[in-house]
Amino acid sequence: MTFLIVLPIFLPWLASIFATQSRIITEKRLKPYVAVVVITNFIVLFTVVSLFPKVRFHLLMVNRFIDIYLRPDSLGILFAVLASLLWIFTTFYAFEYMKHENRVRQFFVFFLFTLGVTIGIAFSGNMFTLYIFYELLTLATFPLVIHAGSEEALASGKKYIIYSFSGATLVLLGMLLVFSITNDLSFLPGGIVNFSHFGGTDHNEFIMLLVGYLSLFLGFGVKAALAPFHSWLPNAMVAPTPVSALLHAVAVVKSGIFSLMRTTYFLFGPVSVAMLGASNYLLPIIVLTIVMGSLMALHQDNLKKRLAYSTISQLGYIILGIALLNQDAFIGALLHLINHAVIKITLFFVAGAIYYQTGFKYVHQLDGIGKRMKVTMICFGLSVISLIGIPPTNGFVSKWYLALGALKAHNVLYAVALLLSAFLTAAYLLPIAVQAFFSKKETPELDAIGEGKSLDPSDTMLIPIFLLTAIVILLGILPNPIVSIVTRIAGEVF
Amino acid sequence: MQGLHLTSLLSILILMITAFIMPVIKQRQLVTKISLATMGVVLVMLALVAVDVARVEHYTATIGHYDAPFGITFDIGPIEAVVGVLFAFVSTMVVWYASFGIHKEIKENRVKLFYTLIHLLLASLLGIVFTSDLFNSFVFIEVSTLAACGLIAIKDKPENIKATMKYLILSSLGSGLVLMGIAYLYSMTGHLNMRAIHETLQVSVAGNERAILVSLTMFTIGLGIKAAMFPLHIWLPDAHASAPGPSSAILSGIVIKAPVVLLFKVLFMVYGHEILKDTVILNLILIFGATGMIMGSLFARVQTDLKRMVAYSSVAQMGYIFFGFGLGNAMGMTIAIYHILAHGLTKSCLFLSVSSFIEQTGQRDIDNMRGIGREMPITLAIFSLGGLSMVGIPMLPGFVSKWNLALAAIDYGQIFLLLIILASSLLNVSYYFPIIINGYFGNANLEGKIYKSKMKPVRELVPLILLSIMMVIVGFGSGPILDWIASAMPSL
Amino acid sequence: MISFLASHYFQIGTVILFGVGFMTLLLNNNLIRKIIGLNIMDTSIFLFFITIGYTGGREAPIINGAFKGIDAYVTPIPTGLMLTGIVVAVSTTAFALALTILFYERFGTIDLSEVMDSRGD
Repeated sequence: MTFLIVLPIFLPWLASIFATQSRIITEKRLKPYVAVVVITNFIVLFTVVSLFPKVRFHLLMVNRFIDIYLRPDSLGILFAVLASLLWIFTTFYAFEYMKHENRVRQFFVFFLFTLGVTIGIAFSGNMFTLYIFYELLTLATFPLVIHAGSEEALASGKKYIIYSFSGATLVLLGMLLVFSITNDLSFLPGGIVNFSHFGGTDHNEFIMLLVGYLSLFLGFGVKAALAPFHSWLPNAMVAPTPVSALLHAVAVVKSGIFSLMRTTYFLFGPVSVAMLGASNYLLPIIVLTIVMGSLMALHQDNLKKRLAYSTISQLGYIILGIALLNQDAFIGALLHLINHAVIKITLFFVAGAIYYQTGFKYVHQLDGIGKRMKVTMICFGLSVISLIGIPPTNGFVSKWYLALGALKAHNVLYAVALLLSAFLTAAYLLPIAVQAFFSKKETPELDAIGEGKSLDPSDTMLIPIFLLTAIVILLGILPNPIVSIVTRIAGEVF
Repeated sequence: MQGLHLTSLLSILILMITAFIMPVIKQRQLVTKISLATMGVVLVMLALVAVDVARVEHYTATIGHYDAPFGITFDIGPIEAVVGVLFAFVSTMVVWYASFGIHKEIKENRVKLFYTLIHLLLASLLGIVFTSDLFNSFVFIEVSTLAACGLIAIKDKPENIKATMKYLILSSLGSGLVLMGIAYLYSMTGHLNMRAIHETLQVSVAGNERAILVSLTMFTIGLGIKAAMFPLHIWLPDAHASAPGPSSAILSGIVIKAPVVLLFKVLFMVYGHEILKDTVILNLILIFGATGMIMGSLFARVQTDLKRMVAYSSVAQMGYIFFGFGLGNAMGMTIAIYHILAHGLTKSCLFLSVSSFIEQTGQRDIDNMRGIGREMPITLAIFSLGGLSMVGIPMLPGFVSKWNLALAAIDYGQIFLLLIILASSLLNVSYYFPIIINGYFGNANLEGKIYKSKMKPVRELVPLILLSIMMVIVGFGSGPILDWIASAMPSL
Repeated sequence: MISFLASHYFQIGTVILFGVGFMTLLLNNNLIRKIIGLNIMDTSIFLFFITIGYTGGREAPIINGAFKGIDAYVTPIPTGLMLTGIVVAVSTTAFALALTILFYERFGTIDLSEVMDSRGD
């Protein structure tokens, strides 16, 4: 019965194939169908992972390296549950939002397909399987990025695909180098690269492993928007908001992060990475990512782009947590993975709701909007506070662990970078919330819309925003359950 | 089974005989049917041969009761069996595909000639692969060259004549070199049978070093011309781009593969690794292969004609095969042979789908292919699958080749070769993806394009679909295929 | 060196002939001359084969009267092979000539350089 473990992956894929058939799934039935699929899949996911914890299921085994198998461990399950939960919210949000976009069917087909791919990434039992799903993710999300079909969208799509494939090529290079030495690419907590295998004396193999690790890191770093390779992310914001929210705050970038965790802690293992000294090369880039993302966000007038740069910076935090190679930092990284996903998706939803209701895209247009979209903007404000990391929000918890980890690494620089970036986060997001409520400026553009009535979106859009904000707050007030789960995962690898 | 031993010979004979029956038959329909039936029979026979080889590992068919080394024998091992089945399969599918539309592309009275040529071509290609007699293989090479030239010139347009001329001249140069190489070998050993030459050469290397090197170079360049090894590829784009669609598929899919197989046999079975390792030939082949992988892709990138682009991509893909040979280790050679399969299936898929585009829309320019996915979704899907295989999406055959080739390169000890492989696959992305993306999502040109409006009937797409299914099977089933090929590798 | 030249002058002659034919085929732009070059090249190889096959002082392998032992006869294989080779060469030549006629009909010239664009790709 262990084959059931593939269900959460193949169910959305099958569903997406059915969704293409307009005779079976008529226009009217499309939305209920998608909703049922997404929720069912969540339930199925929950059922199979609780029924078969830590099983290993081979999809295809050709030989030692071409060996595709799934093995959901606790980290994978955490990521899968997080993704599919957020998928449900996005689905409902998208029902309303996609009303003013064309080709809704195409959108939902790829939307469902991507869900399966993301869970595939989470469940992958070795690097090779992960790589396959990683490539599929690029292919599946590409149509979503260029959904608008405009010249701009196609240009961004092209950039996205070039960056992604270059990254994947680096990953392939890294995989080959590592495989040629270890003859194995499976994920084990604590890693499979064992220096005692070759006594650590062979300089050639050492270099190959180091280059392998770096190219894996940078390759996955492309999707995780690491500094020199980040520029596809702001460009990809031309996509419809549900896509930006889900893919570019959760699924795609977090898949990159997730793969980085797999590489560092499950393929190499913290001990080996430390011995390779790879962090010395990577940490400057990461710090650069954090600070640069924040600085770039400061002067973006387009709200979605500002959020995108903020994402880059926040992802930098998580990557920092990964690269510091100590337990506290890793706990912080995992926590921030969850927290940032929930917070950023809320922020994007709000940005989408504003655009949907008023057509405003730019920050300078948002003065005083809080009086017209009260609930929406309150949610926005709360999320912003969480993202900055003011206690007692969830953002504070994760950043606390990250700071602890940074101090443990005996380098004040990282802690300073974290602090500086937190200030910058406040500087680029807080004014929006403040101005929305307390602006004294005349707002003729805003007043012209909707005759002074409340502009809060309809319930299908508002409820996901509201619920997500509730989760954000809840995670802040009661962080212990999540923290204990995360600590257990971190305990496995150290 | 004793009787099966002559099946390989019989398949060639059947093809030859039917080839010359075609011109005397009046109706086109009947010719088509005969051709399809023959192809089917040949495919089954070769599949039987392959099954037989899988059971007994190796067998020899002797022609006319003259035993080697004087008589001509067919030595069939896993490599020959696999390649033979590939050739028969691709030809069958191409003939099937051509049976629906070839009369639209070439003059009505030449259709019969087309089938005659295809039969001759397949017969000679199988001959090249199966035979273990060098002079015999030369004769087959000449037959295949003439048949291939005929398949290009059959369209009768000026550019076809021009391309055929170019191909014929370069090919004749190649044949001359090959024959001279054979003469050298004969003068050194007194044999034409590959195994006999090999055995004699092993003991008579001393004193013959220079002659060995000269003849090796002649074989490499001569067969390199025919197999479009990079700097010698100049005939290929013209020839493959101007030929009628099914011809292009055959030419790119299998015709350039037969000389590769022969080169492999000459290099590793006639000369053997002992001799090769003291010469620079393998290094040269490696360098040519590597340059071809990069340059072929670069040339493909700048093409505006879709068919030319796919043709240049063949140059790059042949580079992979030579790259594998050049590595000279067991894994590299195995992958080179596997890539013959992978590329044969993929490229015939690509050429057939491209020729469907051209046939249905009348357009050849890449720019005009925007929105084609709306009009011909299934065909573009097959094209995309082929493109993805070239790009190296996991589990499609192109990926399997690339991945193993990279491992072989690491094994060889030169890490920078990895970069060439990866760079080449990135370059592939850069010219296949725009077509796929613009084909499906090129919204700017979608106005006036009606969904499925130009699609061929599904009936006519069956051979294409079968080819792509086979391609996927070869990708997913790469494990046993690789093991089987590896079992036949000459020990190093 | 001199002794090598003296003992192998047949082979050396054929190799020179091969070079002449090869270069004519490769470098001449006139199609007819190219075909002539092709024939020179092929002929040189036939001569080469036949010179290998001949061993001085032996008879043709036709047993006329008593069998004089294997060493008395030259090997007949190269000569036999060259018959095939000649057939192949003739058919290639015929094909090339036919193509040349077509070429002339289409382009009004038999000079390749006037028709081929000199792009390197």
